[in-house]
Order: sequence, then structure tokens, then C-alpha cells
Amino acid sequence: MARIDQIGAEAAASIDGVPASLEDAAAAAAQLLARSGQPLIAGLGADIEGARAAIALAERVGGVIEHMHSAALMRDLDCLRETGVMLTTPGEARVRADVVLLLGDALLETWPALNDRLLGPPVRPDGVEVGRRIVWLASEADATVPGFRGDINVVAAGLGITLAANLAALRARVKGRPVARAEIPLPTLDALAAILKSARFGVAVWTAARLGALELEMLNGLVRDLNESTRFSTLPLAAPDNGAGVLATCGWMTGFPMRSGFGVGSPLHDPWRFDAERLIASGETDCALWISAFGAPSPAWRSVLNFIALCDRATQFAEEPNVRIVVGRPGVDHDGVVYSSDTGTLVAATASAPSAAPSVAQIIARIAAYLPDASAGAC
Amino acid sequence: MLIHVKGAHIVDPGNKRDAIGDLWIRDDQIVAPPHGAKADETVEAMGLVAMAGGIDIHSHVAGANVNTARLLLPEQHQAHTRRPAATPISNAGWSTFQTGCLYAEMGFTTVVEPAVAPHRALHAHLELADTPIIDKAILTILGNDDFVLGLIRSGESASVIRDHVAWTLQTTRGLGIKVINAGGVAAFKENMRGFSFDDMVPSYGVTSRQIVKALQKAVHETGAPHPLHVHCNNLGMPGNVETALTTIAAAEDLPLHLAHLQFYGYGKEGPQGFSSAAPRLAEAVNAAKNVTIDVGQVMFGQTVTISSDVLRQFMARGHARPKKYVIIDGDSNGGGIVPYEYRAGSFHNAVQFAVGLELFLLIDDPSRVFFTTDHPNGAPFTTYPEIFALLMDKDLRAQWVSRLPTEAAAVTTLPSLTREFTLYEIATMTRAAPARLLGLRDRGHLGVGARADVALYRPGKDIAEMFRAAARVYKDGDLVVRDGAVTHYRFGRALQVTPVVEASMQRRMTEYYDARYGLPSDFMRVPEEAVGRPQPFETVACTR
Repeated sequence: MARIDQIGAEAAASIDGVPASLEDAAAAAAQLLARSGQPLIAGLGADIEGARAAIALAERVGGVIEHMHSAALMRDLDCLRETGVMLTTPGEARVRADVVLLLGDALLETWPALNDRLLGPPVRPDGVEVGRRIVWLASEADATVPGFRGDINVVAAGLGITLAANLAALRARVKGRPVARAEIPLPTLDALAAILKSARFGVAVWTAARLGALELEMLNGLVRDLNESTRFSTLPLAAPDNGAGVLATCGWMTGFPMRSGFGVGSPLHDPWRFDAERLIASGETDCALWISAFGAPSPAWRSVLNFIALCDRATQFAEEPNVRIVVGRPGVDHDGVVYSSDTGTLVAATASAPSAAPSVAQIIARIAAYLPDASAGAC
Repeated sequence: MLIHVKGAHIVDPGNKRDAIGDLWIRDDQIVAPPHGAKADETVEAMGLVAMAGGIDIHSHVAGANVNTARLLLPEQHQAHTRRPAATPISNAGWSTFQTGCLYAEMGFTTVVEPAVAPHRALHAHLELADTPIIDKAILTILGNDDFVLGLIRSGESASVIRDHVAWTLQTTRGLGIKVINAGGVAAFKENMRGFSFDDMVPSYGVTSRQIVKALQKAVHETGAPHPLHVHCNNLGMPGNVETALTTIAAAEDLPLHLAHLQFYGYGKEGPQGFSSAAPRLAEAVNAAKNVTIDVGQVMFGQTVTISSDVLRQFMARGHARPKKYVIIDGDSNGGGIVPYEYRAGSFHNAVQFAVGLELFLLIDDPSRVFFTTDHPNGAPFTTYPEIFALLMDKDLRAQWVSRLPTEAAAVTTLPSLTREFTLYEIATMTRAAPARLLGLRDRGHLGVGARADVALYRPGKDIAEMFRAAARVYKDGDLVVRDGAVTHYRFGRALQVTPVVEASMQRRMTEYYDARYGLPSDFMRVPEEAVGRPQPFETVACTR
């Protein structure tokens, strides 16, 4: 990993759209953050080192920590912290799941390796292939998984409140309770319930980006119920832009997830108050530092008083940021630790095309060096 | 920098020293009194007790399961008190930063996170790297994973299993190996709801006994100083003393460490079918000189249980308080996080509290019984000072016992025990012995050449207060705590062993991960530069 004093001279930066030296841009960014009454550190598409630096910076400047996929992340997290959940890993699901329950859409877009990793036949620990039954509660009856040639039992279950109601009916049938009225015909529901209950080790798969709080709550309840008699777990697909990695880093550094603020000196977590969209829309923040090292599109914010962006060269903005500094992509331009959807853990990614583009952590270190009281201990 | 600590009561069982004397610290080492040299700093330590920095061999302080517990229970660190922030992020309750500070303030300088699945080693090391001041280490989990169970099933030679253990230690940068409910967690994936020492794991046809014995031997043969660290089957169950006794007997002559033995000290006697079996267990430990144990003392209050014994945690989900839990079927052990509140008025909890103290008091040799609460499973590590006080003061203990339900006290021997630990025995249990158990020759004592990890305590009537807030703590000769408060950060290292790994094992793991998981076998590596601190690791010598 490149050291902070080895940032390439070609690092691209601009102030008000005019090319500037990295040092001038860092100093300008520091000045905006230091002057701000409520700085927002958002986007946070960064590797672990970048997230660590961003959180430490938030404490220094009394700012808020946010991630661009918090809304979806929080829906999964709310299930976890309200009622609890059962989880498994991509590896266990791959080798063990004899029933895979897919829910909602955008699964393949979220995890392109889904077909390869999870939908082929499992090889059980005893070496016996037992086959894999795949059920998809899809939004439409004609839904398909592109590129997958096996059998999928597709049941049109809708999205949103419709899906929640269908899941409730399915959960009731799994428990052997009567269902007065269900969108899915009763025989279909009962057949589904039978498949789930006969699983030796079933795994439910979804992306919270496409499911609401009600559906997720019902789904996790269904899985809990199934475990009364058999084994069933879940594999919620990880948010892009290292969302799961940033969530973990927030956890160990602050005790809280993102959407936490340091304005009162110690971290305070409030998912409503520290929602970036709300902070921007309400004008409560007067300075935003947007971090996006994985190429995610910029936010459509127009009313930000002061806007600093750490992003790739190609990112387009509705309005040119006050300060813009180009950063490299972890695992491409430089080594970095990120959450891997293939392993379900943090992994050390090696740069595939090493370049001199600086890392988020390096740039934040430069910005922090220009903050007042720069002698304050870093962590 | 030469520091002269003058006139302290030096309690240093590692060097059989228990007397008033001086300590000389040069840079990061304890040195002999230098002839004619003038100290840069003289610390008047008259009336203070000097011990080596404390070593905690079993405390769940970092890693994916601990982090899930943080996220599960935001309400339990919301109300954290702010303090002047001389050190970054130390105001964040339950953060890694706070963990390091709180340990240092109690005079502890080395802490072992005892349960890290190989796949999650990098995550654990990242958290440890953000835990200031103290040195740390992980124990890596084996024994419920497909590869090891497969090796035993197919009758592979002991040397292959030894090579795999060495590969795992090397790859994950572990200090030792832990096995947690050997086979039971894998069996739970096959829907078994209970698992004992001679039960067989479905699909593998191997027993817990076979797994424990194979790993015990393999760890021994790598030369790693720390013997296999065992979390037995049937944790928490009435009558499970039989499981612990059977496991001790199965150890035969090789070294074995049994973790949080309190949770296995239960009989089935008494009106509620739950009683203390600590005397039988202590007797067995006293007789088995190859066995070491740590206690896992229970203290009353809200906590959260964090364990890689997924089967046990699933079965305990009904006791969750507050009513929520996370169960993770992981690649080897996964984890279960179940919040829990130990209540002094509860019959069961009172018996658990008594069993822990009975084990402390009935096991003769303090160098084979280690001081833990299995943080946070029995209680948070911040309760250590109260437990030291309970061990050292039989009158205080009697007061506590008087508040327990009488029918609970009646199924234990605690009310009859009058032993009081001395400072020397406390230092044995928390300094000299753990250093020996982990193979840390330059720690746990204050002899010449030792690392200058030193805690100075101010003794008083209140023993707990003495241990809660050290007067001074030096880490590597650097004064990091004054009057019970951390003054500044420094970052310690993670201790690891690096046993020799045969090239054939690396090839085999590459083929295995590729064939079974479609993954490169190096995905669990922990590159030094990835953890974000200078010199984050230190190697502990293998002895054999």
C-alpha cells in the first residue's frame, strides 16, 4: 500500500472547477470543514482504511457519518436489532443449502456471482449431491434469472405491501394456521410451505434495496419459525460500495452504525436525524464531504452550501463541487480491505492495476493536516 | 529514558519476589539497578503495589461476533458518560478504543480474543489494531469446519492434521487454537439440538472426542506454547459436570486448557435439579496436572453472551433479555449473540455465581486457574476489580452470599469456604501463570530483561477500587495511565506464532478452496500492511 508521503504528483484536484494542487485543495477542504456548523461526511464508498480515516475525521470536526446505501442497510439492520436474525455465509449456503428461497428482484445485479456461487447443485459434506430446489418469490410470474439454466419455481408474489401480505400468509401456513384470504392460491402456498419445511438447510436470499421493512420483518419471522423444526438461515446480499465493511468499521470505532453524529463530542446515533438526504434537504448541514471511491454516481444534491468530493475522474456532478480530489479505487489502483460478497467477510484486495491515484485515507490525512489543532492525536 | 520506581511493594511471583524494593526501567525493558547512573525520572512508590501488566487469556473483545453484538444492542451504549477527550474516540462506548483504555486503566497490558474463525481473522485483527495501548492476540477456531472434520473422517495421519493447524495459525496470525463445542456446531447445521463428547457428527461420522484429541495432539506438535483451548460440549446444562470430567480424563497426559469452566460446574441435585458440582470438578483439576482452566465468573447485571457455540446459543434464545438474538451458521463456527441479564435473585444465576467462586477457591494451584469472566459472557471485564475483592475478602463474600436466595446457596459449598487470596496469588493468576501458558517469556514478571509493562496500584480498604484505577501503568516503559486515567494512546501488537508449514499443505488448501468454494485459499490472509499500523505483529517463539 502506498504511503501517505508517496502520493503521486499527478493527483488531480480542483477548487471551484479550476485545477489546483493537491495541497491547496486539501487546505481548502479543511477550511470548509473547520468552518462548518454541522459537517456531513457522506457517500463513504471507501475501503476500511478510508472509512477509519473518515470516522476519525468526523470526530475531529464534530460531523455526521453516513453511507450512500444506509437506507437499505438500515432496513436489514433494524430487523437485526429489533427482533434478531439468523444469518449464514455465501460459503455455507453454497455447499449446504438444499433449498434456496429467492425474494424480490435485483438479485443478480446486486451479486453477479449468484448463479455461479449459489444456484448450482450443492455438494453436501458427505460428498452426496442432493440437488437444490430453488423457489423465487418474484415480483412477476415471468421473472427469470439471466444465464441460469436450472429449474426455478417462480411464484409471483409482488413487491412492497403485496409481498408482505403473501409472506404473512406463507408464514401462517408454515405454522399450520388458517389463512382466510391470500393473493397466492392456497394450494400454491401450501406447496411452498412444504418445500420450506422439508429443507435440511434452507437459505433465503434478498437485497434490502428492493424490500421494505414489513417484508423483511415477516421474512425473518418466517425463518425463525422454520427453525423450530428444521434448519433455515438467510443470506441478505451486501450493499455495494463496501456498505457492509463501512458498517462494521462504524461498529467497532463508535459502537454504532452509520447515521451517527459527533456534534456533542461523543457519538450519537439517530437514523432519522442523521440521514444525509434529510440533512441536505433541510439545510441543517452547511458542508458535505462526499466520498465515492468505487465509481458510484454522485448525489443529485443542489442546495449544498459547501461541497467537497473525493471521487474518481469520471464522476459528473449536478453542480461542480467547491473542492474535488480524485481518488483511486481500492483493489484496482491500490491495495485495500473491503467486504467481499463471495466470502461474506472482510478481505485484503490486491491492486489489479496499481496507479499513483491516492487512497481516500491518504487524502483525508492531507485534509486533517490542515485542520486547526492539527497536533491533536490521530487514531 | 531511565525510570527509577522507588520503594514499591513488588509482587512478582514470576521471580518469587514479594517485598519492598525498587524497579529500574530503561526504555521498554526492566533493567538491573545501574551503577552510578542517574534516573531521568524517579517515582516515589512507597505504599504502592507494583505488579507486571495483567494478562487476560480469554476475553471476547474484538471480531465479527463482538461487532454484531454492538450493532444488536445500540441501547446499551447510548447512555455512556462523556469524559474529557484527551484521546480520540475514547468517548465511544463499547468501541475498540474504549476497550483498550478500560483495560489499561485496570493495569492490564495484554488481552487474548479467544474465538476467531479463520475466515474472519482479518476482521478481528483490524479491530485489535484499533484497540489502543494493550498488546493482544487471537485464538483461531478449528474443529467444526469441513476440512478438519474431513481429515479425521478419512483417517489422515496426525502429521497432516498438524500441518493444517500450522497452516491455519500462520495464515490467520493466531497465537493458539481453540475448539468450541467440537463437532456440535457442525451437527447443529444438520439439525441436531444437543451434542455430547461421544456423539457423532452427521455426514462425517466423527465424535467430539476424536476431534478434541486430534487437535490437542496437533497443536502440541506444532510447538505452539499454548495448548489446545477447549470450550466443551453441553455448556450451561444441568449435570454437565460429567462432560467436563470426561473431557479432562480424555486429555490423558498432554496439556489441555479448558475455558470458562464455571459454565460446566453443574450437577442435577437439589429441588430445582440444578446444583453446584464445583467440588468434584476442582478435585479433578487438582489431580490432572496437565490441565489448566479459566473460570468465567458470573457477576450480576445486564450483559450479552457472545459465543461461537452456535448450538448452545440457539438453544438459549428463549432466555434472551432483551428478547432478540443473532444466530450465524458460519463457515466453521459462526456465532450466536444472545443478550442476557444475570439476576442475584435468580436461583440459577446465584448457583452460577457460586460455582465460579468455588472453583477459584477449591483449585489449589493458582498457576493453573486463570482469572476470567469469559467477557462479556459471565460479566463484562470491568467487573474484575469486584471479583478480586471477593477472592481476597471472605467477609465481603459472606455479605454477597447473604443476599443470594438461600435455596441456591444451599446447593453450593460457597458459604463454607474461608480461603482468602493474597496479592501474590492474584498476581500469579493474572500475570506469571498466563505468561507461561501463552509462552510470553518477557511478560508477566518484573525480572531483568522483562518488557516494561508495569502496573502500580494504591492499596486501600476498598480492594476493588485499588484494581479499578491503577495509580500508574507503563506499557513498554511508556507511562500511559496516571491516577486511573489514560493519558495518551500508543498502539500495541498482536502476538502470533509462526510454526513451520509444509509446502504441500499450502497446495492442498489451494486445491480445496478452489474445488469446494471456488475461492482462492489466500482470501483469509492477514497482510501486515492491511491492518493500518506500523509493526502490528510480534512473533512468539514455538518451543518444540
